[in-house]
Amino acid sequence: MSGLKIEHVYKRYDNEGKGKKKKVNDYAVKDLNLETNEGEFVALLGPSGCGKTTTLRMTAGLEDITEGNIYINDVRVNDLHPKDRHIGLAFEDYAMYPPLTVYENIAFNLRAKGVPNDEIDRRVREIAPLMQCDDLLDMMPVKLSGGQKQRVNIARAIVRRPELLLMDEPLSHLDGKARQAMRTEIKRLINEIKCTTVYVTHDQLEAMSLADRIAIINFGVLQQYGTPAEVYDDPVNEFVASFIGEPPMNILVTTIIKDAGHFFFTFEGSDLRIQVPERYYGVVSDGFRCKVGVRPMDVLIGGPDSKGTPEKVATFENLGDERRIGIRVGEILLMLITEDDTRYKAGDIIRLEVRAEKTHLFDIETGDRIREA
Amino acid sequence: MARITLENIKKTFGKVTALDGVSLDIKDKEFFVLFGPAGAGKTTILNNIAGIQVPDEGFVKFDGEIVNLVDAAHRDTAMVFENYALYPQMTVYDNMASPMRSKLYHKDEDYIKTRVHEIAAMMGMEHLLERLPSQLSNGQKQRVAMGRALVRMPKVYLMDEPLAHLDAKLRNAMRTELKSIQANFGTTSIYVTHDFMEAMSLADRIAVINEGKVVQIGTGDAIYDLPCNEFVATLMGDPEINLIPGKLAKSADGYTFTMQEGGMTYTLPADKAPFAKLDEHGKSEYDLALRPQHLSYSFEPKEGYLKCTVYSYESIGNKSVIIAEAGGQQLRMLAPNGLRVQIDQDVYVDLDLTHALFFDAETKDFVARYNEEAIRAIAEPEEGSDA
Amino acid sequence: MKKTETSTGMKVLLNVLLIIYAVFALFPLVWMVLLSFKSDAQMYNTMFVFSPTLDNYRQVLFKTDYPRYMRDSLIVSGLAVVVSVVVGVPAAYALARYNFKKKEDIAFQILSFKFAPEILVVLPLFIIFQKLHLYDTYLGLIWVYQLISMPLLIWVVRGYFEDISVEIEHAAQVDGYSWWQIFFKNLVPLIRPGLVSAALLAFIFAWNEFTFPLLLAGSKVQPITVAITKFLGTDTAHYGQLAVAAVISALPAIIFALVIQKHLVRGLSFGAVKG
Repeated sequence: MSGLKIEHVYKRYDNEGKGKKKKVNDYAVKDLNLETNEGEFVALLGPSGCGKTTTLRMTAGLEDITEGNIYINDVRVNDLHPKDRHIGLAFEDYAMYPPLTVYENIAFNLRAKGVPNDEIDRRVREIAPLMQCDDLLDMMPVKLSGGQKQRVNIARAIVRRPELLLMDEPLSHLDGKARQAMRTEIKRLINEIKCTTVYVTHDQLEAMSLADRIAIINFGVLQQYGTPAEVYDDPVNEFVASFIGEPPMNILVTTIIKDAGHFFFTFEGSDLRIQVPERYYGVVSDGFRCKVGVRPMDVLIGGPDSKGTPEKVATFENLGDERRIGIRVGEILLMLITEDDTRYKAGDIIRLEVRAEKTHLFDIETGDRIREA
Repeated sequence: MARITLENIKKTFGKVTALDGVSLDIKDKEFFVLFGPAGAGKTTILNNIAGIQVPDEGFVKFDGEIVNLVDAAHRDTAMVFENYALYPQMTVYDNMASPMRSKLYHKDEDYIKTRVHEIAAMMGMEHLLERLPSQLSNGQKQRVAMGRALVRMPKVYLMDEPLAHLDAKLRNAMRTELKSIQANFGTTSIYVTHDFMEAMSLADRIAVINEGKVVQIGTGDAIYDLPCNEFVATLMGDPEINLIPGKLAKSADGYTFTMQEGGMTYTLPADKAPFAKLDEHGKSEYDLALRPQHLSYSFEPKEGYLKCTVYSYESIGNKSVIIAEAGGQQLRMLAPNGLRVQIDQDVYVDLDLTHALFFDAETKDFVARYNEEAIRAIAEPEEGSDA
Repeated sequence: MKKTETSTGMKVLLNVLLIIYAVFALFPLVWMVLLSFKSDAQMYNTMFVFSPTLDNYRQVLFKTDYPRYMRDSLIVSGLAVVVSVVVGVPAAYALARYNFKKKEDIAFQILSFKFAPEILVVLPLFIIFQKLHLYDTYLGLIWVYQLISMPLLIWVVRGYFEDISVEIEHAAQVDGYSWWQIFFKNLVPLIRPGLVSAALLAFIFAWNEFTFPLLLAGSKVQPITVAITKFLGTDTAHYGQLAVAAVISALPAIIFALVIQKHLVRGLSFGAVKG
């Protein structure tokens, strides 16, 4: 028993319709390797069209695998029909059978499998309270709100006790608070039933909140696979760094100069100078160009004796529990977040400092992380 | 440039009362935000100011002059619509030029060209001018809609949830961008939103609207720190403020507060001002309110900390929220991203009561809070008597 | 696991079936064109090979009143469509934008004009027209023709108006435009695809109308559909000339249909996009 294992999987779509422009990358999914532990919650995260849903659909058996193997609990499932893969599916749009009650909708798959009636009843009544839909069992689907439908939808996916639960953007039709509440519920549910889960989303917050590990995918290629803390604090490239976190990491093109034995980041169109953390001294040189990334929380306002360059506040936003300050650096607005209660206004002068240990360098061409030697 | 006054505006649609006696006095050059939940009547207020709808009762005044019977075209406003309402058959350039090509606000083509390019440059969308709206992303459409309003110098800019349809990241970025060009507006602006961050960030003053009525008017600080009732307190802030129902009892030299659920009794920090107000109010049942940033946690037992279990631990971007449970009482607090937290594990919570607010448990109205004087000084700069 | 992919054999079979259907559907048209080039002597054989002649065309175009019938058809159908557009577009706008009592009933009433069998109403109309001296006049025929074209136009255009968000009108109002300017500058361009396809389709329907002109037109006004029957004399049937008349009269409809084919599908499938 090991949950899901995806091994060198490729997906290529035949270019149907000659009029369509030839795509730059023909592969929707390219050499994907992913292994989950049993009972783990894994999020597939990426922008739309990155191949995450295709991966899920291949796992579910709704789509052919061009190359490679997929194993569910050590059984190769490439050629198995979806119904024989022991999976539960919950999709973005809750496709329920309208003429059936919620109870019958949840029971539908069990009935199809010929599970005896009293066993069905026992299971439905066991699952319903977990998803807080025990009051809804006698209702018809049309009467349910979006959130309720999604609950039933998830209940239906887990009632057959799948070996693997697959969810595709189950929250994307909900808004605001309903979405947040539902997110918490899903998290608690999975914690309760301890089922290996693969969850597709384009929302980094969902992934960060729910997942034990996150697989970040872009253009069909796995970028990084790690715990929320790893992808947040130690991104492997510029894409991951900018995709995770809100507000996103400040990423600026910089030219490094050497002055009096120290290296400094300098920026085009700005007099801002920040000292390069010493751990990078082995990899940088005078005139070295790269990108530097630092999260808004890790940019600090220096005290009165700070040696930071004085900079003008461009925007100041008081958001209640935090304050966001924007500084113009060339074309870019460098954001910093502070919980300090001081109020600034546009035009005020502050001195900037950055947390050296939270500063990342990226290659200007490839976007790959440049690590200290 | 104009001062906009609404006097007791009422508006019904069939049997539904959309506005039930709304009065507002919006100062010249003020950035005024109408904030409230969906269906509160915010957009109806805006439409009444624009002249798209006419109030059943009450007056809309521009600079003291009643404009109820002036049609939308002649009111000299510019509006940004929630769904952008770009003209699909026109290029971005023509969309932006449109307000200056009508007979009423006519400008010659040379001026139009300069002005459109000026605004497009300010909003960083000069490369989009030749495109059709159907070729734009949501964020770009939003910019164009904003740009179309900004090309003119009307009496008032009206903006109806311009950022609502953007995803979270883009919305935040656009809000900051809007903040950075706000100084260039130079005229009265009225901005409708249901997002408290937009309200806090952009507003000179905020009016909280609910069920067709004005609930509270004040600066962002005033609404955030001195909410007039629990509704406003809950609406302002994400994660939501913690409301802790309980009983207040007089002790030797002050007050104690016993939580209804969770079973903890706290001795309230001594402070004359709130105590005097609580004395005056005289009741014993209160909801104690505390913002999530004023709670702290420990995973080891500590003296005076309330023992809870973790209900959830979730990221909200640059930080995370822990929801802890003690009995039926949920407590939200802030924590860094990437902690190793298990659901249902024990967590010990401390309340920093020097930031507490007190609401009447029955009427849900504001009674008192700590540091009220100091907060009022920041929150109500000049007049100090708005709400 | 192979579910959606179609094999080559299947593709061939599908194409063969389509070809059979196309032959079946198009054959009458082809035969009619062939007939129009045959002399009377060859008329009754079923040979595809014959010596073509233009006699029939000469006869029809130069020895009969055929051009006049064409003109009458154009006038009656064309003006009926014009009336439909002038009256129908504002009606469609009102039905899409304003809320008034019995709105849906009225909309349905308009559509239901299309339901009544023509033969049912044509007799009372005949009597009324005679009393009002509308019998055998352009005005009378245009009047009944727009009954055919208007409902279609209103329903299609109404769908288009409903698709345009009302905020676009509001935006233009705030920009300083009057209602008429908004209507012509902003709305008309947006409904154009629907308007054009509905109008052309209405024109084709009107052009092909037979029952009404047969009974409501006499000698002064004669649309082509009725006039064709003249080539069937009581004793002789000039099938060749009849074929010519039919081919030429079908031309406008065919040309229009081909020209607007693309728009027609898009223009009339408004229901699908509205969801």
